[in-house]
Amino acid sequence: MSIGARTKRFDGPSKVDGTALYPGDIPLDNPLHAKVVFSNRPHARMVSMDTSSASAVPGVVTIVTAADVPMNEYGLTMFDQPVLVGVDGTGRSAVPSDISRWEADQIAVVIAESIEAAVAGAEALVVAWEDLPIVPDIDAALTGDTLVHGYNGKPTNVFYDYKIRRGNMAEGWAAADVVVEATYEMPHQEHAYLQPEAAVSYIDDEGRVTVKIAGQWIHEDREQIAHALDIPDDEVRVIYPAIGGAFGGREDMTLQIVMALAARKVHALGIDRPVRSVWNREESILGHHKRHRARVVTKWGATFDGKIVAVDADVYMDAGAYNYTSNKVLGNFHVAIAGPYAVPHVRIDSMAIYTTTVPGGAFRGFGAPQAGFVCESQINKIADALGLDPYEVRRRNLLGEGDPTITARPLPIGITMEQVLEECATRTDTWRESAAERDVRPFASLPPSDSAVRTGTGIGIGFKNVGFSFGFPERCEATIELGGDSDEYDSATVFHAGADVGQGAHTVFAQMAADALGLPVEAVGREMSDTATSGDSGSASASRLTWMAGHAIGEAAAVAQKAWGDGDRPARGHYRYEPPSSEMIDPDTGEGAPFITCGYVAEAVQLAIDVETGHIEILRMVCVTDAGRVVNPLLAEGQIEGAVIQALGYTLTERLVVHDGRITNPRLSGYLIPGVADIPRDLEVVNLELPDPQGPWGIRGIAEMPMIPCAPAVIAAVHDATGVWIDEFPLTPDLVRKHLRAAGIT
Amino acid sequence: MLSGFELDLPDTLVGVLDLIADGRGTPAVPLAGGTSLIVDMRARRTMPNAVVWLGKIPELRGIQVTQDHVRLGPCTTVSDILNSDELAGSGVSLVRAAEAFGGQMVRNAATVAGNIACNSPASDLVPPLMALDAEVILESRSGSRTVALDRYFTGYKEDVRRTDELITGISWKRQEESSVDLFHKLARRKGDAITVVGVAVNMAVSDGTCMRARIALGAVAPTVLRAKRAESMLEGETLTPGLIEAAARQATEEASPIDDVRASATYRRHGIQVLTARLLTQAWGRLT
Ligand SMILES: Cc1cc2nc3c(=O)[nH]c(=O)nc-3n(C[C@H](O)[C@H](O)[C@H](O)COP(=O)(O)OP(=O)(O)OC[C@H]3O[C@@H](n4cnc5c(N)ncnc54)[C@H](O)[C@@H]3O)c2cc1C
Repeated sequence: MSIGARTKRFDGPSKVDGTALYPGDIPLDNPLHAKVVFSNRPHARMVSMDTSSASAVPGVVTIVTAADVPMNEYGLTMFDQPVLVGVDGTGRSAVPSDISRWEADQIAVVIAESIEAAVAGAEALVVAWEDLPIVPDIDAALTGDTLVHGYNGKPTNVFYDYKIRRGNMAEGWAAADVVVEATYEMPHQEHAYLQPEAAVSYIDDEGRVTVKIAGQWIHEDREQIAHALDIPDDEVRVIYPAIGGAFGGREDMTLQIVMALAARKVHALGIDRPVRSVWNREESILGHHKRHRARVVTKWGATFDGKIVAVDADVYMDAGAYNYTSNKVLGNFHVAIAGPYAVPHVRIDSMAIYTTTVPGGAFRGFGAPQAGFVCESQINKIADALGLDPYEVRRRNLLGEGDPTITARPLPIGITMEQVLEECATRTDTWRESAAERDVRPFASLPPSDSAVRTGTGIGIGFKNVGFSFGFPERCEATIELGGDSDEYDSATVFHAGADVGQGAHTVFAQMAADALGLPVEAVGREMSDTATSGDSGSASASRLTWMAGHAIGEAAAVAQKAWGDGDRPARGHYRYEPPSSEMIDPDTGEGAPFITCGYVAEAVQLAIDVETGHIEILRMVCVTDAGRVVNPLLAEGQIEGAVIQALGYTLTERLVVHDGRITNPRLSGYLIPGVADIPRDLEVVNLELPDPQGPWGIRGIAEMPMIPCAPAVIAAVHDATGVWIDEFPLTPDLVRKHLRAAGIT
Repeated sequence: MLSGFELDLPDTLVGVLDLIADGRGTPAVPLAGGTSLIVDMRARRTMPNAVVWLGKIPELRGIQVTQDHVRLGPCTTVSDILNSDELAGSGVSLVRAAEAFGGQMVRNAATVAGNIACNSPASDLVPPLMALDAEVILESRSGSRTVALDRYFTGYKEDVRRTDELITGISWKRQEESSVDLFHKLARRKGDAITVVGVAVNMAVSDGTCMRARIALGAVAPTVLRAKRAESMLEGETLTPGLIEAAARQATEEASPIDDVRASATYRRHGIQVLTARLLTQAWGRLT
């Protein structure tokens, strides 16, 4: 049985001994080096760009500019960004190409014999700009004084919105005994994957423009490249070598299109050499999107017995300079505002807003962590206001099988929120009694001040849809080839596009194939992540890959087994899985069933806070998930622990400073992700493994859920310790002190 | 990206002093652990033509504890300090600072002279050394001199060291039995984080009277500094909670913190108050 085995990742040793080849490490024969030039202007119109002195720098081979882009536009769900900002052409696109709307809009690629020459060439570019007013944040954008995308004909920077109109608000407020109102501010978050962006490009033996890069969906990358180059998809090849983390941060294009352009331009000059580009950390932080910052103004009503009767909310999400996946993130954010709770009367208006700052985009949780912060903080406050146990207030509101959500349709079958909540309650049952007995010694090196150190506990729960939702045409392909000399096959090869971003997808694919075929996992070979050899798998995102790939691999195995039985040698089976469809929600009422399936999570945290320094120490933490049947518990535990730590970073230390349209701390010395010493020593991960009735082998999804309820759980614990609610984060000591001071705790 | 430079690896002190004096026509900059200099060179904040590495001269590294003095070689690393049994007995605040310093890799490379000479107000080894009344030994081809660490820094990124001088030692008097030295740093995460506020305290008590008080503050002014007026409020006194609070408040007034990406000036001022009061309370408690 390969399903459920703690198989070690196949790529593990190579990542430890350094032999794994990331795009920046691939040995190349006589490569050229590319420097991607950013505009360094949050909002400006390019008046002219003179490349002559840059071209004259010794070692510079050629320079790619807007004039080289046949279709100068990019966008995963709407084309609103020029691939290269420049005065010399939009190609066939309608998106004006001469405006930089973000400090890291790309303006040129300087290709040279050495990195030094490429950098010198970049510094020698002469660009004249006419600065335009900066739109630094949501407030400035909402005035509409300066339109970031004026050409689209809309008189506002709000470019996407969703509504929910359910029940009757007046009735809801009339039924409410208690009303909790707040304005929540959620910060940006940087993905901070270990491997900064890097790519290699060349024209392969079959004449295809080939890009080796770390991404999340090779076929989407290929489509975007082909679109901008205005060539058919099959003239482009995308290959993923080792990928050093992604978390959603590699869903949008960074080097994909420009490196394809670079390969083509070099080739057109008659030069047959590969081109490489490697970003440093600063370029990575400046140059790719972030988790969206957002504001939610909300008001909830509940009865004395804790039943939520009304939810009213306005969601303002800062999309930054371009849409990226903002319209999709906003959808998820929007429908998750009331969490896993049944609410009869609801009004929600959600909007995505352009500003001239770093774009917001995909990041583990995809809008759900922001919504979860709002929702779980609200229900924690309701519990507090009513003197109810935070578990109990949740029990009284949970959505059960068949209950209408705020979008008036039930969640997909197989809801396990209640079991997850109860498991968390059981695990934390003894926390209060034992706190006193435990040898709690936070801040070990800080001289004691008993009166200053207080402890508290808090919880949060949540759910996350698995797979692209809202009517997106989901699919996942797999091919399996069987081998063997006797009557029985004794080996197999899986061909799959799915990206192993570090989560262990390729190991898990082999385990699922081995299980379906009755082979040991060692007998399953892998041909992975190359558009030349595998069909479209969809993205490694939305907690979807194992679920979708499991369906496709299971079916492909059956097809291959039949071919083997029919005497085919080699016996090949290909399968394209298409899950049951989801629905877009109604634009006026929000009604609809947007999801295919969901995973569930609950987190509880106990912390100590030094009210004088504002420092927080997580004493212990429990994360209970239901990821359905787990293919590989070793990888699942690692992934959940990683997500919890990333969520703690989001909650406590990670503060991106965006001032006047510029990121002022684009370095890991100023943007602090948790270090090894910050990881709670007592972190318990529990996976319920309640099978998803729709999932292959009962699998659900795992990647995003633990990211969701951490911030509200920590903030509830801070409240428990101090009596102070904080409606924003990250909880830097400075911010904590600001709130404690305002509450009179000196 | 680094720009080109000459690198020399002399194996004698005289060789180093020659190179930093005029070297090969251009004075060379000393390179110790490189955890500050190389970072600055990459960012092109400094672009020396010539660099001289001190790592080939074993005598420059090490901890000597004699009857009444402790002397650190300039190339003594933060890990050396952390692992030293002798310092655990005669400079424990320095060991505390080493514990809170950077991450393991940085601690293995970073040196004490580099920490002083990089002139950062957030240098963690400096407050404890200053509170221990440490002295810096500067040597050049023309001789040597000794400067109290307390007088070494003259302003933001400015000090008394001439470019032809090398720090060749840091020393302080061994502390008497009835004294305590302490250090604590507030930062935004537990390791590898630049100091938001660092406070070192050194106190000697005799017969229920505070005979010596030193309070050194890090990351709250253009240089690490001593809160001398606060110190003088304590010397000759019997400490009470009220006096400690007043001295801690005085210390905040001697600092001039700024707002930056790590914390606000308001937070820093409050941090000085909290840390100073707690460290003084602890020191006094241990000595009485
Ligand atoms: C990731 C990271 C984390 C860090 N964390 C901390 C921290 O927690 N606390 C902290 O205080 N610092 C920290 N630093 C800063 C740095 O590590 C320290 O300041 C360190 O002590 C510098 O020592 P070094 O030997 O590396 O100096 P170098 O970089 O080699 O030199 C620094 C400066 O000192 C000069 N110099 C070196 N030796 C001598 C000498 N003998 N005589 C005269 N001049 C000399 C050099 O010319 C240069 O100007 C950190 C740095 C990094 C990169």
